[in-house]
Amino acid sequence: MEVRIASTTFDPQAETAAFAAGRSEMGALASFVGLCRDRHDGQVVEELFLDHYPGFTQDEIGRICNDIAGRFGCPDILVIHRVGRIMPGEAIVLVAALSQHRNGAFEAVRMLMDYLKTDAPLWKRETGPDGVRWIEPRAEDLARRAGAEGAIV
Amino acid sequence: MVRLVFLGKFGPLAPAALACAEPPAAVATVGDLRDWVADQAPALGAALAATPFKLIVNHAVVHDLTAVLRASDEIAFMPPMSGG
Repeated sequence: MEVRIASTTFDPQAETAAFAAGRSEMGALASFVGLCRDRHDGQVVEELFLDHYPGFTQDEIGRICNDIAGRFGCPDILVIHRVGRIMPGEAIVLVAALSQHRNGAFEAVRMLMDYLKTDAPLWKRETGPDGVRWIEPRAEDLARRAGAEGAIV
Repeated sequence: MVRLVFLGKFGPLAPAALACAEPPAAVATVGDLRDWVADQAPALGAALAATPFKLIVNHAVVHDLTAVLRASDEIAFMPPMSGG
């Protein structure tokens, strides 16, 4: 299990290959790469900035990784998450999961991404032609946190 | 001396001097600290008043505002998380 907070660009393919190397006992590797878009809610994004709380952010993501690994029988999960200044087209996040069978790896990656997209201790600021804006949680995110079935808290 | 961390949108509103703060002796609890911080910078105080936020003391969420402050505590002001 590895959670890495990265302040510079990384190579998702190389990281995924290194993660899976030598794990011939595993029958499934699923991965997801999130990229920085140049638009959000119809507005141009010139630059994204992700604030984090050193130590706390990594520990919280690690706690959720361990929970999800147990739920889906994934012996190993890798998360690399960018922070700081991120440009459109750059990878923001890589999640990869190894398991003996495909369903565990698929579900672990999907659930972990759901968590990371909305509930991880990260704060997003976008810069565009009209200036800077901090991104607030959406109403549906808040509703889900309030107690939707299966929510991770 | 306590260390204060202002996350997300609170960060740019917090004076740099608040990073290591020496509140007056009357500031004895986490709740006292929250109120004292809000008085130190009007823009930060307004943002704190307008935003639901959590207080994190030494990397643990604190719900009890009567918790006693200790020297060398690290207190983070955490606005709603937007995720990555």
